[in-house]
Amino acid sequence: MSDLLEQFLIEGRELAQQATEDLLALEHDPADEARLAGAFRAVHTLKGSVAVFGFQPMERTLHAAEDLLDAIRAGHLAVGREVINPLLDCIGTSEAWIEAIAHTGRLPDDAPACGRRLEEALQVPLGVDAASSPTRPAAPDPAWLPDLAMAEAPAIAKAQAAGRRVTALRYVPVPDCFFLGDDPMALIRSVPELIALRLRQREPWPEGMIDPFTCNLVIELLSTAEEEAVRQVFRFVSDQVDTTTLTTPSPVLPVPPEEPARGDPVGTTGRSLRVDTVRIDALLDLVGELIVAKNGLGHLIAQMGEAEPRLARALGESQAEIGALAEAMHRTVLGVRMTPLARTFRRLPRLVREAASGLGKAAALDIRGEAVEADKAIVDGLFDPLLHLLRNALDHGIEAPAARTEAGKPVTGRITLEARSEGGGVAVEVTDDGRGIDPARIRRAAKERRLMPEAAIDALDDAAAIQLIFQPGFSTASAVTALSGRGVGMDAVRTAVEGLGGKVSLASRPGAGSTVRLLLPQGASVTTVLLVRMGTEVFGVPMEAIAETARIPAAGILPLRQGEAFVLRDRTVPLVRLPALLDRPAGPRGDIAQVLVIGAGAERIGVEVDGFAGRTDVLLRPLAGLLSGMPGLLGTALLGDGQVLMVLDLPELIG
Amino acid sequence: MSVRLEGSVIRLEGECRAEDAEPLLSLLQEEAGRVVDLTSAVRLHTAVIQVLLALRPPLAGPAGDPFLARWLAPLLAATPPG
Repeated sequence: MSDLLEQFLIEGRELAQQATEDLLALEHDPADEARLAGAFRAVHTLKGSVAVFGFQPMERTLHAAEDLLDAIRAGHLAVGREVINPLLDCIGTSEAWIEAIAHTGRLPDDAPACGRRLEEALQVPLGVDAASSPTRPAAPDPAWLPDLAMAEAPAIAKAQAAGRRVTALRYVPVPDCFFLGDDPMALIRSVPELIALRLRQREPWPEGMIDPFTCNLVIELLSTAEEEAVRQVFRFVSDQVDTTTLTTPSPVLPVPPEEPARGDPVGTTGRSLRVDTVRIDALLDLVGELIVAKNGLGHLIAQMGEAEPRLARALGESQAEIGALAEAMHRTVLGVRMTPLARTFRRLPRLVREAASGLGKAAALDIRGEAVEADKAIVDGLFDPLLHLLRNALDHGIEAPAARTEAGKPVTGRITLEARSEGGGVAVEVTDDGRGIDPARIRRAAKERRLMPEAAIDALDDAAAIQLIFQPGFSTASAVTALSGRGVGMDAVRTAVEGLGGKVSLASRPGAGSTVRLLLPQGASVTTVLLVRMGTEVFGVPMEAIAETARIPAAGILPLRQGEAFVLRDRTVPLVRLPALLDRPAGPRGDIAQVLVIGAGAERIGVEVDGFAGRTDVLLRPLAGLLSGMPGLLGTALLGDGQVLMVLDLPELIG
Repeated sequence: MSVRLEGSVIRLEGECRAEDAEPLLSLLQEEAGRVVDLTSAVRLHTAVIQVLLALRPPLAGPAGDPFLARWLAPLLAATPPG
């Protein structure tokens, strides 16, 4: 994928996000002109970058959205659902298209048809308006064009006489562009086939008060190159340029809408550097190599110790210093991967709004704690489970308006999405004020689906019973809805969250609402493992997988059918030996068996190891090369002494 | 050094960067009538061009840089509109 396309994907996602946020805020407060300008600018810029790559259906759709926003800006239309809905649909589809481009390099096959539908929907509000106002041309010529065309008429006439099409461009650099490192004139130098250039001050300088650091210029030019080719030069400032292709030889043109507002602060991005995560991870690997290299030095120092004790001591001190620096570097690089949860949270309001209107329910989403940070992998991985939880809350939690009124609740349901830093991890809670979950109903459904023996289900207290909804195959939706009844239940949420190294739990008060709580690690890359010995070998087992460790007297281990078992707090727990899991011969057992217990409840199982060798934080690397696809192995990690540690996936090994 | 004063002539030499705009502005404002010589200027940063456009000092040329000579010098030399 070309750098340019990659840049487009990054910026495209941001612009779509920005447009969505502005539109949602605008729906809330139709008088917010800054938001209107923000939405317009985002759509305009996105359309501009789309044009560079020639994704035509997307460009046309965005163009229609831009027209609609423009009509609102001009005061021809009022903000309301009938304009916000098609605009949000357009942006939502654009987001999906951007992801399609990211995966396949092109738009989906149904894009032209889908784009036409969106385009028509965007034109509906304008069409109503068109009856009372003069018809607008499909692509109106910009306001600045007549002046330029008039002043440069000889150049245009000459080019058109030679059969060339003329592209006009107006570039208004942002006032602080010099600080951003832009040199607008350097871009102008790169414009192909320049045939005219005009340069003037945007505003007159106050008497004697010229500020050499503020850019106060309007640059206009004509070129005989294609519009796309000219835009390409300005791709990084595409929000500051406006282009058009001259169609008629006549410079007399209809009066066009007002030119876009510029330089307003809403949505301007911070001065930061965009770095692909792949590069960060490469950096992380390098730090790992550095630690290994440092350890190699340790062996040399030890060998040299006898011959040259003083030199060895000095080298040892140096080595310790390099070690400390390498560790600091390791922490810093991990810190770079930390991302605010806002990255995921911000994508949710639009989808919740869509879901609510689809269900005919009214709900307000309140988001808190979006500044809390976690590793990028976790932040990204939370999107699907959170979306599912929010849809679930709308579908099953929040009651229909009539039922809410009857229950004495406000008609608008309230869903809160809140994140907090909690004990080295991140807690994310989704709370609704809906009908809550009835434990009796859950028990009944669990029995119908034979999730557990009936006696075991009856033995669960209410708080434990409602956790059954996380079991695979559980779904209490009496009517399958289009929204959350598509065969993926809460077990999908649990699987996703556990995949991120987290845990999920549910609390509910019937009639008052429910809270689903996700507890996640903050940094995904670092895994705490328990080191276990098997003969002379050491393996790692992620702490998250371990429920507890136990020392069991050999006499307490009982034969059970083909295997063995032991009793832990009055419950019989099956026991397997680690060598058996790894197909290795087992050594003799001592007086005391060292056991680690994995799983919970009836699923508990003990794994006997030869001993424990402490715990450590490692950077888990996924399996690559020969090892990839090896069952029972989560990954490998480098230990502080440079040894490679195999980290086991015990649940999978046990099967 | 890209901005140099020789008598009453300000010479712009080589590549003039954004930070050259301020000394150029001071030299032009210090004494009216100073001439700006573009003969050995190669690339002028937009900030520098902006100062020339605002004050429109007399220019001495021809500019050494083709882009400057073809496109910018005429714009800077023309009488300001209005």
